[in-house]
Amino acid sequence: MKTILTPILLSSLLLWLTGCKEPTIDEGIQSFSVPTSVDADGGNWRTIVLKSATDITVPQPLPITSDAYKTELTAIKNGLLASTPEQNTAVNYWAVGGVVRWNQIARQLVAKYNVPPGYDYATGQVSPADAANPYAGAPYAARIYALLSVAQYDALVVAWRAKYQYNRPSLERQGVVARVPILDVPSYPSEDAAIAEASCQMLAYLFPNEVNWLKAKATEHKQSQLWAGASVPSDIKAGEDIAIALASKLVERARNDRFAASTDPGNTWQTALAKAPYNQKWKSLEIPERPPLLPLAGNVKTWYDSTAIFRALPAAPPATTSAEFQKALSDVRTLSDSRTREQWRIASYWENGPNTYLLSGLWNFLAEDLIRQGGQNELRTARTYALLNRAMQDATTATWRAQYTYFVPRPAQLDPAIKTATTMLNTPSYVADRATVSTAAATVLAHLFPDEATRLNAQAAEASLSGLYSGTQYQFDNEAGATWGTLIGQLAVTGAKADGAK
Amino acid sequence: MLNGNGYFCTTSADFMRLLTCFTVAFLFTLARQTYAQGLAPGILDGFMKGQRKASLAILASQETYDTYYINTAETKNPNLGTVTTQALTVVGTYGLGYDLDLIISAPYIRTQASAGYFPKQEGLQDVSGTLRWEAFDYKLGKTRLSWLFAAGYSMPMQEYVSDAMVRLGYGSKNLDGRTMLHYKAGPFFITGQYGYIRRGQVTLDHVVNNYDPSQLNPNSGMKVNVIDVTELIIRTGIVTKRVSIDVWGQQQTPKTEGTNIGPGIPFPTNGVGFTRVGTTAWLKLFGKVGITATTSTTLSGRNTGKATRVNGGLVLGL
Repeated sequence: MKTILTPILLSSLLLWLTGCKEPTIDEGIQSFSVPTSVDADGGNWRTIVLKSATDITVPQPLPITSDAYKTELTAIKNGLLASTPEQNTAVNYWAVGGVVRWNQIARQLVAKYNVPPGYDYATGQVSPADAANPYAGAPYAARIYALLSVAQYDALVVAWRAKYQYNRPSLERQGVVARVPILDVPSYPSEDAAIAEASCQMLAYLFPNEVNWLKAKATEHKQSQLWAGASVPSDIKAGEDIAIALASKLVERARNDRFAASTDPGNTWQTALAKAPYNQKWKSLEIPERPPLLPLAGNVKTWYDSTAIFRALPAAPPATTSAEFQKALSDVRTLSDSRTREQWRIASYWENGPNTYLLSGLWNFLAEDLIRQGGQNELRTARTYALLNRAMQDATTATWRAQYTYFVPRPAQLDPAIKTATTMLNTPSYVADRATVSTAAATVLAHLFPDEATRLNAQAAEASLSGLYSGTQYQFDNEAGATWGTLIGQLAVTGAKADGAK
Repeated sequence: MLNGNGYFCTTSADFMRLLTCFTVAFLFTLARQTYAQGLAPGILDGFMKGQRKASLAILASQETYDTYYINTAETKNPNLGTVTTQALTVVGTYGLGYDLDLIISAPYIRTQASAGYFPKQEGLQDVSGTLRWEAFDYKLGKTRLSWLFAAGYSMPMQEYVSDAMVRLGYGSKNLDGRTMLHYKAGPFFITGQYGYIRRGQVTLDHVVNNYDPSQLNPNSGMKVNVIDVTELIIRTGIVTKRVSIDVWGQQQTPKTEGTNIGPGIPFPTNGVGFTRVGTTAWLKLFGKVGITATTSTTLSGRNTGKATRVNGGLVLGL
């Protein structure tokens, strides 16, 4: 048995193994869900930035009996017979859902650009923020998701109105066998083209470094509709034009939402800190210390009633000298000293800290499953995201308002023995954004997906507690945040009940 | 048997195939030691135990670093300070046959940082089991050359925290295959070994939420791939019945690029490598009782600490 052969074989085996590739983790094969409703009345739903769907005029399409249309349709039919594997990949990718895919793209870009200034070992200094992208943190992310979702939603309401106004029959009704399931709505204008162009324009404004990449994605998205047999070029063109008309209005809103000033170039936060109505002042726990993250993000224009939101600004927490505060602080310390693995898991799950797509991104991710299970069409998906993301941006703005009103120190500032399971954020403690944002998100989603309400509320409760498990928040941060988040979520629900969607 | 299930690597080689191959390797041969954080390579050697002979080693080690590598650039972090890792490792070796050893090890680890807010981590790390097979033994005059193979498996003994700067280990289940050439002339010996450590996937505590250009899309859930490494170890020294002393160099190279240490980046996906050198001594005290000591330092690295380590222990022949 002990021949030279076996060792040689084993050596070759080893060499072969070292030449193999690492496994790739991808999303696997996605199933295409067929939407349960076409929402034929969608053109009457209340728009967000547009006054109404009639703000954008969609020209009358050529009749399907025209020669021009017949030529287009024939080209699509012939194209279906000659599709390439690359085309099929693109078709399958976008068939998962245009709104969902662009939301994923936005999450990826947020994670890429959500880079706070860091400590630079070479110079011993805090490295300056990238001039092209000076923003990072929760307010930055939440705003991107909200603007994207609003752009998609308004574009789709206009598209839906035109679809049922002109009623150009879908290609399937004209005998085209599409490669993937297509929603049975009139084909003109193409909803996918509207989504692609609206998303691309909005994200290009928000991520100027990515314009070319975004344009390539949008082009692929639009062409995938031709390759799939879902639209003809004139459908695509009309969808695109809606988005182009809409984009300028959205960019205008984005320019005037006061976010640009949130970095506080004049360092007014120091004055605010000195005047803060709380007995102990927050200080940066980083070494070296650095200015807080987006200190003026609490002034960003809200989507929902700002009076109602800021009237609910919670009162200052108990003073650090009070027994109540000392109890809250010792609770954090006790937790930090005896944190269980499960508490660590919860803290880590909800953290979504620097260089990630952030907590609002996680809720967008979680909403994806609900949307798929709910069989929502593109318009309804956009509505879900627009409701969710506006509520989350307002909740984030509210959090920042409270943090930079009171400047409450983080627990570890008062008890340096407290260790944290997640990154120590360079923001004041009160209120906890994980609580405010998650509670607002769960309130909105529970209204839209009532069957899931119990689970969603449990998730929000866990997210609210997670800051305590992290060792970065007092329980009163979490409680005040959750109360405020519920209120903001309710404002969104009230809006949802009145927007015309059933 | 060997040519059944695809012996040619394709670009889409999947884990199951690898598992099959490793199982085959396991059946055919077997040998050596999975490199665990708590172990210096002081116990991975080319010396066979001998049939029905056993030994038990209890090793204590301390490793510290205040400088670490982000990719290959050295850095220090005032929010981390110095990281100190202490380990207590039990290693049992048993000669199943004159040419086949079983080696089992289990470390208990405590690690903490001197600054910042990273919590101390403490607990059992990875248990590993390795079979070492002396496949070929050739006498050249008074000297001997042997060719050995080893296959090992290691897995976490508990679900410890693996996604943190201060952590116990990778959290992955690993397969380890390696081959060794061992030459001994009188008291002098030299051993060269080359190994491949296949690290399984790790489920993070959270959904993958960072940007990674190689990420096909952001919907891959909570699982991440841990980068495999290849390992090269050369050691040489003298060994007698009472004493041994040697020097060694160890180089681990990540198989693929992986990610680099950074905020938001899951630690298990980092491409980790290093070059370390060290020296190990063993001294027989009396009867079957010996003591061993190792010291080592890191010359270069990638996404790991620039660590120095001392390690000492008791070796009992059974």
